Amino acid sequence: MKFKADEIASVIQKEIEQYDSQLDVREVGTVLEVGDGIARVHGLSGVMAGEMVEFPGGVTGLAFNLEEDSVGVIILGDYLKINEGDEVKTLGRLLSVPVGDAVMGRVLDPLGNPLDGKGPVNATETRPVEFLAPGVAERQPVCEPMQTGIKAVDAMTPIGRGQRELIIGDRKTGKTAIALDTILNQKDTGVKCFYVAIGQKDSSVAGVVKDLEERGAMDYTTVIVSGASTPAPLQYVAPYAGTAMAEHFMFNGEHALIVYDDLSKQAVAYRELSLLMRRPPGREAFPGDVFYCHSRLLERSSKLSEELGGGSITSLPIIETLEGEVSAYIPTNVISITDGQIYLQPDLFFAGIRPAMNVGISVSRVGGAAQTKAMKSVAGGLRLDLAAFRELEAFAQLGTDLDAATQSQLDRGYRMVELLKQPQFQPLGMVDQVMVIFAGTDGFLDQVPVEKVSEWESGFLAFVHDQKSDLVKTINDAGKLDDDAKEQLVAALNEYNKSHSAPSAD
Amino acid sequence: MPDNTEQAEKEQFDSNSQQLGLVYAKALLASSGADAELVIDEFDSFVDDVLVVTPKLEAALCSPRLAVEEKQRILDKAFSGKMNSTLLRFLKVVAAHERCDCLREMRVAAKTIHNEQQGRVEVQVKTAEPLDDAMAKTIRDQLASNLGREVLVEHQVDPDLIGGLVVRVGDTVYDGSVVNRLDRMRASTLQGSSQTIRNSLERFSEQSD
Repeated sequence: MKFKADEIASVIQKEIEQYDSQLDVREVGTVLEVGDGIARVHGLSGVMAGEMVEFPGGVTGLAFNLEEDSVGVIILGDYLKINEGDEVKTLGRLLSVPVGDAVMGRVLDPLGNPLDGKGPVNATETRPVEFLAPGVAERQPVCEPMQTGIKAVDAMTPIGRGQRELIIGDRKTGKTAIALDTILNQKDTGVKCFYVAIGQKDSSVAGVVKDLEERGAMDYTTVIVSGASTPAPLQYVAPYAGTAMAEHFMFNGEHALIVYDDLSKQAVAYRELSLLMRRPPGREAFPGDVFYCHSRLLERSSKLSEELGGGSITSLPIIETLEGEVSAYIPTNVISITDGQIYLQPDLFFAGIRPAMNVGISVSRVGGAAQTKAMKSVAGGLRLDLAAFRELEAFAQLGTDLDAATQSQLDRGYRMVELLKQPQFQPLGMVDQVMVIFAGTDGFLDQVPVEKVSEWESGFLAFVHDQKSDLVKTINDAGKLDDDAKEQLVAALNEYNKSHSAPSAD
Repeated sequence: MPDNTEQAEKEQFDSNSQQLGLVYAKALLASSGADAELVIDEFDSFVDDVLVVTPKLEAALCSPRLAVEEKQRILDKAFSGKMNSTLLRFLKVVAAHERCDCLREMRVAAKTIHNEQQGRVEVQVKTAEPLDDAMAKTIRDQLASNLGREVLVEHQVDPDLIGGLVVRVGDTVYDGSVVNRLDRMRASTLQGSSQTIRNSLERFSEQSD
């Protein structure tokens, strides 16, 4: 490729001709001290809280702390280039990030700069990073399902569009896996996905991006990264930046899903900033307003009213606990803000139950209203059945003799637990989930050995899709399991079981 | 006077002693009443002509090893009769409170407060070349009529500006310098052209085949 120098020169000439010089009026201050991503500035007497300021060399910052004789500024960029005595000027605007279709499929930093080497982000629009959440009149109750493609979640803690569902658990319990499966399951649904990685190892983020790319999910996903090595201010800003990008779609009547991975790291970054700013430390040394930091972020996830287009942001914040301690400060805060939580436990994870969801204490406070009728009819009693099973199981371990009814309840429980296991990156469609859960709860699996359950499941699903595709279509179109469809499903189950019972009996 | 500018910077940067300076300066101005102008002038000369010239005196006044009575005796001996009595009393009070290290901040604060009370405003003007008197007067008059107050112009020469004028009033800078205009033109031209080129890349390049 050869560049036409004269064409380029003519454009530059035109720009220069059009340049209109105006007197540059700016409000300035002087850097008193700088370090660890923050600066104290003298002057800037008219600066407003949250306003952007600019240091020499183009590094920007946010006015964070307004004191009587100095201003605390958080530096968004390379603070090593800033010296004591440097002139700081106010920019008179708020921090904004590029939004729109141009950011889809990209890997960006919290300021919207590309990190994926695919060239500049050609966005025509920007949105302020901090934005007031929609008010009461602008919302409607959550009414549409957000399918995660995970049987255990969709059946027992259903998530609706516009809901905030917390994923909480110790390290290495599959928190990110649930979020990624949910993103993968949004393929062809028109839901835009945002994955905000805060304070994570860059290698894990690279792994996530690769997984998404390999499975074709990057077409509708944006990854916002502020890794472990980025300064605290950027880690603090990252979730707000991601939400601003998602809000663009929500206010245009579209649907978005945003994953904050994870908010405990953001709280730690905010604590670092606040302590450096000498704000008084509170419980666990977090500042008093760390609750507001998370509540104003998660309030921005909402389902807008029909007049405003009915768009939504569903958020899946992730919190990492230490040794299962959910009563620590940040976990209790975020649990109280969100509309439910998926609680993952290491002992379940290592027992091979993946997703390692503790059914007893995982809840969804609003999603039930958004569950499809079909799923509701088959999974209604599942939570209670499983809870009863867990109790019986603990009892049965004592080795007492059991009557036949108890034994059969136990057997069915083992099969249900087995059925709810699901490998990563294999989200299931709504109809598939309904059919296998129906089979499990209505006893069609009782004759199948426990270790053969997953084999049975894949075999049955293949059988139904091959030979009974009209049944799949019926349930999918109706969205519910009426008597007619139920009869057909029972017939299909019997037919499959009959044809496959012979070899398994050997 | 490189020493002096360093000192001046120091005055600006320690916000704690600035706070202290403000408190003492208010007290000084209130007690000096109608003599304020004179007191401030003498205070000025005390800092510039005494403290700067004889650092040993300053060190002695600031030293915690010297008793308060001793410091007051030194001040009395050196300045009694030669100095406005209010100022002398003030210096003795400062010495009694062991705050002689903040005298410079007190001086700056006193000047600022007094100027404000008199409806005067300090303005820093920076130009690329020294101003002649007529020009200086024009600038001063223009600023005074725009700001609606009497202006005290502090003039600096900075060849880096290339041309034009930079005026600073308080924290607000009015920048009409050539270097600033060039910088901004460069930034907007770069941005505008790169946008145009990105939008229609084929116009600017030809496939070399």
